[in-house]
Amino acid sequence: MRRCLSLLVCLVAVGVFAQNNPPGLAIPATTSAINSSTPLSQRVVAYNMDAKYDAKAHSLDATETLTYHNLTGQALDTFPFHLYLNAFQPTSTWMREGKREGTRGQDFEKWDKKSYGAEEIKGFEVVGQGDFTSQLQYIHPDDDNKDDRTVMQVHLLKPVPPDGYVQFKIKFHDQFPETLERTGWNRDFVLGGQWFPKVGVWWHGAWNCHQFHAYTEFFADFGVYDVKLTVPQFEVMGASGIEVSNVNNPDGTKTVAYHGDDIHDFAWTASPHYRIYDDTFQGSMGPVKLRIMLQPAHWSQAERQARITKQTMERFDKWYGPYPYKTLTVVDPDPGSQAFGMEYPTFITGGTTWWEPEGMHAGSQETIEHEFGHQYWYGMVATNEFEDAWMDEGINEYTQVKVMDSIFGPSASTLNLWGISAGEREETRVFYMGVADVDPMAKNGWQYADSNSYGGITYGKTAVVLLTLESVIGEDTMRRAMHTYFLRYRFTHPTKEDFLKTIEEVSGKDLRWYFNQAVYGSQVLDYEVMKLSSVPVDWYKEDLKEKKGETEYVDNVWIHRKGDFVMPIEVEIKFDNGDKVREQWDGQDRWVRYTYQKKAKIESIEVDPDHKINFDRNDFNNSQTAEAHGAPARKLANYWTCISQFCAQLLAWWLV
Amino acid sequence: MSEKTNLISAGSAIASRNKRYVIWFYILNLVFAHFGAAAFSDQAHGILDHSLYADKLLHGFDLGVLVELLARPEFGALPAASHPAMMFAVLFFLASLIFMPGVLLGYASDHRIPREEFFRACGRNVWRFVRVFLFFTVVAGIIGGILFGAFNALATAADKTSHERLPFFTQLAGGLTMFLVLTVIRIWFDLAQTDVVLRDQTAVRKSIAAGFRAARRNLGRLLVSYVAIALVALAILVVGILLWHAIVPPSSVLGAFIVGEATLLLLLGTRFWQRATAVAFYVKGTNELIDEVQPIPAFVAP
Repeated sequence: MRRCLSLLVCLVAVGVFAQNNPPGLAIPATTSAINSSTPLSQRVVAYNMDAKYDAKAHSLDATETLTYHNLTGQALDTFPFHLYLNAFQPTSTWMREGKREGTRGQDFEKWDKKSYGAEEIKGFEVVGQGDFTSQLQYIHPDDDNKDDRTVMQVHLLKPVPPDGYVQFKIKFHDQFPETLERTGWNRDFVLGGQWFPKVGVWWHGAWNCHQFHAYTEFFADFGVYDVKLTVPQFEVMGASGIEVSNVNNPDGTKTVAYHGDDIHDFAWTASPHYRIYDDTFQGSMGPVKLRIMLQPAHWSQAERQARITKQTMERFDKWYGPYPYKTLTVVDPDPGSQAFGMEYPTFITGGTTWWEPEGMHAGSQETIEHEFGHQYWYGMVATNEFEDAWMDEGINEYTQVKVMDSIFGPSASTLNLWGISAGEREETRVFYMGVADVDPMAKNGWQYADSNSYGGITYGKTAVVLLTLESVIGEDTMRRAMHTYFLRYRFTHPTKEDFLKTIEEVSGKDLRWYFNQAVYGSQVLDYEVMKLSSVPVDWYKEDLKEKKGETEYVDNVWIHRKGDFVMPIEVEIKFDNGDKVREQWDGQDRWVRYTYQKKAKIESIEVDPDHKINFDRNDFNNSQTAEAHGAPARKLANYWTCISQFCAQLLAWWLV
Repeated sequence: MSEKTNLISAGSAIASRNKRYVIWFYILNLVFAHFGAAAFSDQAHGILDHSLYADKLLHGFDLGVLVELLARPEFGALPAASHPAMMFAVLFFLASLIFMPGVLLGYASDHRIPREEFFRACGRNVWRFVRVFLFFTVVAGIIGGILFGAFNALATAADKTSHERLPFFTQLAGGLTMFLVLTVIRIWFDLAQTDVVLRDQTAVRKSIAAGFRAARRNLGRLLVSYVAIALVALAILVVGILLWHAIVPPSSVLGAFIVGEATLLLLLGTRFWQRATAVAFYVKGTNELIDEVQPIPAFVAP
């Protein structure tokens, strides 16, 4: 009886699941877009889209067939979808947050209706279960903003069994916004980013599908993309993946088809003005076709952009691992658009100006380096950008410092122009300094205090934390750890602990003391040389005449831990007879005093003499000299005086 | 030798004969700028003097270190350092307004005018110059405002096209046009100021009218002279910056000071050259040497 009952339950279960699993569904195992004969990721989704773009209205009508493979290990009856373009509405969460403090330098004062964006679902069918268009619900998992329509949810009538498939057929209409952030149109240019309904990620036993926030980015599953885009024939196109076909239609349009393997997003761009510069990078997994899409006025920078792209790819390939895709498209978006500096799988946007001098590395060259870095830290190591923004932006900022320093030299990796220089390390430090104690790195992206804190912590602090970590475990070990992390977690969604534990494992060190403060805490590291003194031993003798090399002194040095971040440090004391002493201090107390009795006075003291600790908030107080050296301040004051005089003369020139 | 060259060289001769005015004005500006930079200097010395990190600013110019310095709370807010500089710049402008009548009188004279006469001219004309200045700001403000608005609208329209360089060239054309128009206005009021001083004109509106007529009749000559001297000023500025960059070692504070100040002195000299050119034109045009003008009577207490 019991056996019969079990059999009956099994039969019912199989029957229910069999009904839910339409026959013939599978995620294609294609590899035409990658330099690999087998798929590289565990493919969860297959998007097949056919879209027609109306260049005049900046809108798009499309059909999307999404096949989803349930690899969650449990039956799923609810599916959330991102509708990112609905963020560009006045009442969305994205806009509320953006309006609160601006984003990409905009305050939206002049934002009007013609610039809005929207994503409207015209039809929603679940294959085998019927039409669900009227049953779609907007949900707000992150806040109580009922007007936010950036996430919708559908409840299926029948659940999708573990290892089963479900297919959605979605018809949608996009109204692209004027580019406020990343996506949309500007004049006759368009960048189609986050433009289609995208299913959330089942992660750690729950759906992870956050609303679109002003400062956060994206999270999606790997899969296969087949996209057909129909646009006017005059448009020059670029997109993620490889171009499969390009057919002119009788109505003056053309249909360009693209295919992408092992990617988790798809972006495209069109403009009649692009000029194309093609090149090839020979990576360790095979050749990569580079397509640089430039504005006509920037054509003279084509070789420069190709060069920095290849130099960056070469270093990533050598240091962290191979780039497996067959293409990389580098887009130079329309000037004045807010589509610059963004990453999508195999497709990045740079941005430059026609006058950009070559020595201004912080311009398009840094942007291209940074966005290419995201092919690794986001593209392949697909972290949750909503919840762990530091793991893509910050780790990428760290590798940016390493790559840019390697290409241009540490002191000029940001700027080397007219005798003025700046390095990436300083740039990232400055980025972080102003918000050092505001938020920890480990925090949901939309819950940072403000945009400055989000930027300063996720980008700046992460970079200086990892650069400083090199001083603890060594630069080579750090590089090995990054290499291991990449190879181990590419094409997956690692957590922060996956990253931190990899570093501990590779270095063989317990680094919790560091991570607890730097990653999970908001402690500030600031050591200072508090004071110094050199007092003659025979100070009491009335006839004392101090003589260099003969008079004996009691030399005292006080080092102070001003911040609450505890870290062992090294201190170097230089004496006026040329002697040098190095001391190690564990930093546990608030201060430490070192005393020496020598026939020499202290000349200078320096905390972290090898400049390994980038994390220190104030480098000016890390050293102290016994004698004042006024030249640097005089130099600055001289500059200031000259500029003041010039301004005064200019004023008097015109007015008197 | 053309007439235009004559005007420029006549101005040059006057200005070089009276170099002391340029030097005094330069010293005045240097002193003011020094005071204006005092707050900045104190703040910088406080942080940098005992720090080894400051070497990055001395041996080279690391922009990141400078930004870090300015961001330090103990450095104070940048406006606290820049406001005194602005105030002293305004003070230099006021000083220029007050002392310019004496300079014009000196330029028009074929001999070195006594100190008392210089200051008497300054005192007698101060209120007149203020009125001329106010009239100038109204005229320049209205015309400059209209031009600025027009070129801004053009630049905005150009920005809507897909030709990236068009807005830049529109702005450049606008800037050049505004420069020329404002130079014409400056010529007009330079002549008016000269007329005020040399005629001892109490009714400044008459001088403004006279300046306008003179400028209108001889606009080509005067504009070419002024623009030519302005181009010399631009060349001095460019050469000065290049020299600073090429021959001054980053750690040489004295070298930078000498090159920078020499450039500023020469730049100031070009403006005085323009003023001298206006005086030369005026004197030639009216054929009235200052000696023939009624000497300025000393103030007699009632």
